[in-house]
Amino acid sequence: MTAPDTAPPAAADTAPDTAPDIALDVRDLRAGYDASDVLEGICLQVARDERVGLFGPNGHGKSTLLNTISRVIRPRAGRVAFMGEEIGQLPAQTIVARGLVHVPQANRLFPDMQILETLELSAYTPRARAAKDETLDRVLQLFPRLAERRRQACKTLSGGERQMLSIGVGLMSAPRMLMLDEPTLGLSPKLKDELAEAIAAISATGIPLLLVEQDIAFTLSLVDRMYLIDHGAISREVGRSGGVDHQEIMEMYFGTGEGA
Amino acid sequence: MSLDVISAILVSGLVLGSVYALMASGLSLVWTTLGIFNFAHGAFMTVGAYIAWTASDQAGLGYGLAAGIALSVAVMIGLGIVLERVVVRPFYGQRDFLLITVMSTLAAMIVLQKGTQMIWGARLKQLAPIVPGKATLWRTTISAQETLIIVLAPIVLIALQLFLSRTRTGRGIRAVGQNPDAARLIGIDVSRLFYVTFALSAVLAALTGILLGSVRLLTPQFGDDPLVKALIIVIFGGLGSLNGTIVAAYAMGLVEAALTYAIGIYWTPSLIFLLLILVLLVRPQGLLGKVTR
Amino acid sequence: MMTGRNWRPAALVAVVVVGLIAPFFVQDTYLRHLCIIAFIYAMVAASWDLSLGYAGVFNFGHIAFFGVGIYATGLSAKLLGVDPWIALLLGGVAASAVAAVIALPVIRLQGVYVVLVTFAFSQLVLQVVLSQSQVTGGSQGMVRVPTLWLPGYNFLRDYKFGYYYVGFALLVATTLALRRIATSDFGVSIRAARDSEDYAISRGIPIGRQRLKVLAASAFFAGIAGGFYVLYLRVASPEVFDFSTVSLVLSMVLVGGTSSIYGPVFAALLLTFVSEGLSNVDGLGVGRFILVAVLMVAILLYLPKGLASIFARR
Repeated sequence: MTAPDTAPPAAADTAPDTAPDIALDVRDLRAGYDASDVLEGICLQVARDERVGLFGPNGHGKSTLLNTISRVIRPRAGRVAFMGEEIGQLPAQTIVARGLVHVPQANRLFPDMQILETLELSAYTPRARAAKDETLDRVLQLFPRLAERRRQACKTLSGGERQMLSIGVGLMSAPRMLMLDEPTLGLSPKLKDELAEAIAAISATGIPLLLVEQDIAFTLSLVDRMYLIDHGAISREVGRSGGVDHQEIMEMYFGTGEGA
Repeated sequence: MSLDVISAILVSGLVLGSVYALMASGLSLVWTTLGIFNFAHGAFMTVGAYIAWTASDQAGLGYGLAAGIALSVAVMIGLGIVLERVVVRPFYGQRDFLLITVMSTLAAMIVLQKGTQMIWGARLKQLAPIVPGKATLWRTTISAQETLIIVLAPIVLIALQLFLSRTRTGRGIRAVGQNPDAARLIGIDVSRLFYVTFALSAVLAALTGILLGSVRLLTPQFGDDPLVKALIIVIFGGLGSLNGTIVAAYAMGLVEAALTYAIGIYWTPSLIFLLLILVLLVRPQGLLGKVTR
Repeated sequence: MMTGRNWRPAALVAVVVVGLIAPFFVQDTYLRHLCIIAFIYAMVAASWDLSLGYAGVFNFGHIAFFGVGIYATGLSAKLLGVDPWIALLLGGVAASAVAAVIALPVIRLQGVYVVLVTFAFSQLVLQVVLSQSQVTGGSQGMVRVPTLWLPGYNFLRDYKFGYYYVGFALLVATTLALRRIATSDFGVSIRAARDSEDYAISRGIPIGRQRLKVLAASAFFAGIAGGFYVLYLRVASPEVFDFSTVSLVLSMVLVGGTSSIYGPVFAALLLTFVSEGLSNVDGLGVGRFILVAVLMVAILLYLPKGLASIFARR
């Protein structure tokens, strides 16, 4: 695999005075742990009516990117705008309050809290609290399994149930956009199908998605467009016009050998 | 053993247990939320009692006990916040966080204790009781204030439990303790809840001090013994569990009262400690607790 | 590290020489007294560094080991008529034995529980001293402890001349012994266990037994220091167990820098003079403890590796 020579579409040096139809606009974002940068200048956009996939090998910065956008870790450089407003300097809780909600990878949530309690608590920001009862009904409808176990502690849930709860928790925060990190990690095919349906249903309500996922089939069933992340930078973008081509993805993932 | 003796042991055990439960619950709360053991907790108790004394006593400002309690609570909220900001927050996320905060809270304790000595002097003081007079419980007569302690402690502890399980802030505090990153991602202002937790535990300690300040004499070392007892209690009960801590506190109070009757006040601490070591050899995570937070 | 190797032995020899000839220039009894107290604190701080710094055992009962040394030496010399030199050794042995007992639960515990148990232990020692007042003198303290003696020499003479040299010799011996332990295979293995328990286990290092040994060794020197303390002052009170003693010695370890042995020694020498000097300033008799505590937090904030890090550039 060669170094990323396909520059991302947007020019990095222009200020993000973004077009009104862009939900998330990330420019030249750099972040990392300790001395080394994991993200080496990421640029990506998600439109307000769009579902975007983020794809790439493990350890190349996908989770770091989401963590940086949601300010679990501090960016070292670059800008992030959400719904036309700069959010790069805001603390994590304010970003959630603005409606950009991150469902992290393998979230173990709050082990000793009950499921219902966790969901209720997750409507924490003022905007989320206003819609709490309504959203709770919707979440329990979307994931009936959670409704059955509402009095159980989080730590007693299976992997699949915990994924559902994580997404439910994300929904309770009243998202105007969702970032999902590996929602299918460790799930059986049957559960994956259920989850895909649930996510499709969520995005059908007009919530833009940024989906990090290793399962290609799962991702393809959900997104309009995909970025490939490679060594901390966006190396390719696929399917901007029309649907995503399966062949193209396989090429992207397994190298450019036969396609070039 | 006569009924009188049993009654005396039970009553004094309940008084001790109530005091210990109020103290230890604050320690446990700070531990589960911030992951630090606050050595200044005993000094919070001392300072809280002294402030109430200054505002209420004739030798001080003489505004009466209600004003004293109000002022004490107000100051302790501020003091709790300041302490969290100065000796805990700068170290958050560091590798040796636990060890560093043990030392920094120990330093804070010295500052508060010696500060108390400089401001109020080493002379003994005593708060006026909230309720004067005597009361008889079963076959034992104790001061009305001690009865108040027995009655008030469970009410405060139940209120604390309800706060943690029912209110948005209380649930938030529990969430922060169990998973701070996940708490941030649902929009919880973790820093703010750290302040709230520290202030709350400081107020709990001050309340203990005010209740006990008319039963015992106030000295700058007033909070040392309750802190050490609370320390032993959280080892027994497991720091991570508030309920375990409260149960252990009452058990400790009763055991201490019984041992004091049986073998006298001098050997009791040693025997309790021996018991502690034996328990730890069998159950390193404490009698009731979990090892990690 | 390489540059450090070159000047270090020379610097140490220089320090030892200064220490040896100092009494000939310092005739003032009070200054000599401060030096002796500083030597004692330096031994306590340096030996604490072995368990707290090198081994990473959250030992907060070290002052109690010092106290055990004080009372073991004092009582055996005073009540049992043991020769003071042997009593001094007994102080170390007693502290070491007590440390081994307390280590039994401690080595099985994790993190904060180690802090709590060792702290509770130090309070227990205090309680025992207070409660057995017919033996220990209780809160009144222990008085009229015999002095050190040599054939034909009275230690009370010559303005503490003799005590100065015994104290200095004990400090040099303690420092060298602690360095020796810290740089031995044993010392390297306990440091490995501190930095990565998993690694140590995979290499077959018996962590529990190592920690027990470290605690016993570290307590031995604290006990010797305690023994010398009581033979020198001839009185001892339970105040040595006070939280302020704990924080004073702890600040010496921190200011000097953990895992260096030398650092705490020099910090102890420095801080003893500063602290004693301040105690003579009006209104700072109590306030100096506040200053020490503030210094401790400042060091934690701005120089987490202590003053030694400025010089050592490790």
